[in-house]
Amino acid sequence: MKKIILCLTICSVLVANDIDFNAALTANYGDSYDFYSYSENRLDLNFFYNDLQGWVQYEYSNPPDVGFPINDIRKFRIEYTLDDFTIKFGDIYEFWGRGLLLNQFDDQMTNYDNGTRGLFVGYSNGPLSLNHLNGNSSVWLFGSDLRKPYYNNSHNMSGNQIQYDWNSFSLGLTQIQSNEVHQKLFGDDAYVNHKMKGVYGSWLATNIDLFIEYVDKISTEKTDFFQEVAHDSLKKGHGIYGNLNLYLGSWGLSTEYKRYAFDKSHSDFTADDYGNRIELQMMPTLGKEQNSTLLGRVSHNYNFNDERGVQVELNGSLFNRFTVSAQYSHLSRNKDWKSLNPLDWVDKSLDNYLPSSNPSALPYWENYEEISGFVWGDNLYFKLGHGSNQEVFKTMRYFDGMQISTIFTESWVKDTTDFYGYMIIDSTVTIDTSFSVPFGVEAKMWQVAKSFTIPMELNYTFDNGYSLGVGFQYQERTKKNISKGNAISYSNSDSSWILINPENPDSSFETHVTQFSLNGEKVNTQYNRMIYVTLSKAPRWSFTITQDWANAFDGPTTVDPYYNPVEALVFGDLKYFTGDRNPTDPPPFIQKKWVSAELAYNLTSSQRISIMYGSIQGGLFCSNGICRLIAPFNDGIKFSYSAIF
Amino acid sequence: MRKYLFTLLFLSKSVMFATDSDLGSKIPDLRLKLLNGQKITIHELLKDGPLMIDFWATWCKPCKKVMKYLDQYHQDYADQGFKVLMINQDTPRSLGKVKSYIRSQNHQFFVGLDPNKKIAKKLNGQVMPTMILVDKDGFIKWRHQGYIPGEEVEIEKQIKLILESQASES
Repeated sequence: MKKIILCLTICSVLVANDIDFNAALTANYGDSYDFYSYSENRLDLNFFYNDLQGWVQYEYSNPPDVGFPINDIRKFRIEYTLDDFTIKFGDIYEFWGRGLLLNQFDDQMTNYDNGTRGLFVGYSNGPLSLNHLNGNSSVWLFGSDLRKPYYNNSHNMSGNQIQYDWNSFSLGLTQIQSNEVHQKLFGDDAYVNHKMKGVYGSWLATNIDLFIEYVDKISTEKTDFFQEVAHDSLKKGHGIYGNLNLYLGSWGLSTEYKRYAFDKSHSDFTADDYGNRIELQMMPTLGKEQNSTLLGRVSHNYNFNDERGVQVELNGSLFNRFTVSAQYSHLSRNKDWKSLNPLDWVDKSLDNYLPSSNPSALPYWENYEEISGFVWGDNLYFKLGHGSNQEVFKTMRYFDGMQISTIFTESWVKDTTDFYGYMIIDSTVTIDTSFSVPFGVEAKMWQVAKSFTIPMELNYTFDNGYSLGVGFQYQERTKKNISKGNAISYSNSDSSWILINPENPDSSFETHVTQFSLNGEKVNTQYNRMIYVTLSKAPRWSFTITQDWANAFDGPTTVDPYYNPVEALVFGDLKYFTGDRNPTDPPPFIQKKWVSAELAYNLTSSQRISIMYGSIQGGLFCSNGICRLIAPFNDGIKFSYSAIF
Repeated sequence: MRKYLFTLLFLSKSVMFATDSDLGSKIPDLRLKLLNGQKITIHELLKDGPLMIDFWATWCKPCKKVMKYLDQYHQDYADQGFKVLMINQDTPRSLGKVKSYIRSQNHQFFVGLDPNKKIAKKLNGQVMPTMILVDKDGFIKWRHQGYIPGEEVEIEKQIKLILESQASES
C-alpha cells in the first residue's frame, strides 16, 4: 500500500509542478472455469524536465498472464543529455546493427526481457557516435510450464559501439563481453564467458539500400571450484546477415540472407546446452511476421544457433489502388547430417552458401501472397491472402550408404568308425566366414509438416459511421512421420543396420504416419477454420464474435466439459437458457470449437476498455521471433483497460 | 479482494488524469532517424505547423488502414504547415521490409524508425496505432488509441480544429 501511495504522490507532484510528463496505464484481468486467472496492472510514467528524462514502470500483478507475481517498481531509467553526451542509468534497451550482437527489448506477450540494468554513456557529434553499455541482464526462460518461467540465465555484460556516418554510408564496430551464470535443468550452474566482436555497414541510395553485418563469438567455460581458471574455448561461432533492397517506381524488392553458425547440433537445444548464442543477440529471422491467427500458429521456431536462409519479398501497388505483396523464404541448418546409428550422428558441410533441402538439415519453406485495397468509393476494404509452408521438425534416423554383411557358412563332415563291432558316427562342423557383396542401405525417418492457409477479410464502412467486417481463415495441415528405405532398426552387437528383408536388400518401403488424431483415431489432415464478424460504430465501440474450429489435434484430444452461453447461442441450443443444460455431457457440436465475443469501447479518445467472454484455443504464438505455447482459455472472461494521459 | 481494489484504484486515478484538461503537456524534443537516413528532432518537424504522430508496424492491420487517410491529410494540409510523422516499430528483424512497403504505397509522410520502442515508450505509443496530435508550439492537443473504420472523420476533424486555432492566433 505504501508503494501505491508513493506512486500516486509522485503523480500528484508531477501534476503540480512545471514538469512535462505523460503516463500509460494498462489493466488486464482474466478468469476461466479451468482456473486460468490473472490480474495484471501496469503504470508507465515518463517525465521530462529540461535535459533530464525519467521513466518508471510500476506493476502489480498477482498472478500475471505469464511470468512471476510482482508488486513493485518493475523498471526505471533516468536519462540526462548535455550537449553531445547522453547518460542513462537504470533499465536500458539498445540495439546495434540489426541485432546480431545486441538487440534488447521487453516483450510482455512472450515474457522475454533481455534488457540491461546498468549504465549507458553515449557521445554523438556530427557523423561520429560512441556508445558504452555496462550492467546486468537477467533473462528468464520457459520450461514445461506454459505460464511460469523455469530457469534463469544472468549476464554481467559490457559493450561498446562506434559508428561513423559518411553521407549515405555508415560503418559500425561493436564489441560485447559477458560473464554468464547459466542455470541448468540438471546439475550445477555453468559459468561461461562470452566475447563477441562485430562490424556492420550500410549504404542508402535512391533506388538501392544495402546492409551487411558480421559477428564473431567465442565462449569459454570456467570449471574449477574457485572459478578462477579458464579452460579452453567452449564454443566458437559467427553470424552474418545481409539485406539488399531494390526500388523501382511503386515496387520494392527486399532480399535477405543469413548464416548463423554459433553452435551445431542434430537435436533440440535445451537449457543444458550453453556457450552458444546468448540472449542479448536477437537477430533477423527471415520469416514473415504474420498477423493472421492461423498462420501464426504454424510459425517456424527459428534456430539462431545454427540456421541459414534466404528471403525475398516483393511489395507493390496495382493501379494505385491495390497493395500486392509476395514473399518466399527457405531456411535450413548449416550442415547435412547422417546417423551412423540412432545415437551417433556426423555432419557434412553444405556445398554452397544457400540453405539445404535435405531433410537431415531440417529445411523450412514458406511463401505468402496477399492483395488488399479499397473499392466502392473507398467504402469497402478487402484483403485476400494465401500462405503455405513446409517444415521438417526432426530426424529420428537418417542413413544412406553401403554396408557389408558377414556370411557364416557351416559345413558338416560325417564319418563312421567301427569300435568293437559298434558303428560310431562322427561329425565335424566347420564354419567359414565370408563377406557379402556390398549393398546399399537406406534407413531414414523424419517428421514433416505442411500447411496452406487462406486468410480473407472484408470491411464495409457506411456513411453514418457504422462498419461491418467479416473475416474468414481456412487452413489445411498435415504432420507426418515418414519412414523410408530398406532398414528400420540397428543392431548394436553387429554394428550394422538390420534389413527388413535380409534375403533381398533391394526390398524397400516408405510409410507416412499421421501425427494428428481425434479421440484416439488417426486423422490425415487437420482442417482449421476461423470466422469473425465485427460490427462497429466509429469512434465509440466495436463488437466482434469469433468462432474457431479444428477437426483434429496434434496430441491427445482435449475434452471441453463445459460450454458457455455464447457457444450455446451460436449453435441454437435454446435448452441451455431454459435450465436444461447438461454440464457433464455437453452436446458434441461444441467440441473442437471455440467461440468468443468481445466488446471494445472507447471511453474517451485516449481510454479504451474491452471485455471478452468465451473460449480461445491455445497454440503457438510468436512475436519478435520468439515463440511461446499459449494455454487454452476455456469459458472465461477477459477484461482489459488501457489509457494514455 | 486486494487485487480488485487495486485495479479499481488504478482505474479511478487514471480516469481523473485522462480528462481533456490534462491535454496540453508539451511533447519532449526527441531525436529520431528517418527512413531516408536523415536524423531529425520532433521540434524541428514542428517549425512550420502542427504535427500528427502515429505509431505503426508492417504487421499491424489497423495501422495500415489508417495510414491511407493520414497520408491524404499530410498532403491535403501541407500548405498550412501540417505534417504527419509515422513512427515505425518493426524490430531490427523485419526492418528491411519497411522502406519497401512505404515505397510501394507511395506514401509522402515522414517515416521515423524506432526499432526497440525507445520513442514509443517515451510517448506511450506501445498500443498500435496510437495517434498524438501536437500543435505548432509543441503542446499535445489530442491523443487516440486504436482505429475503428470510420474514425478517419474524427481524425480529420481534430486536424482541422488545430489548424483553425492556429490560423485565428496568427
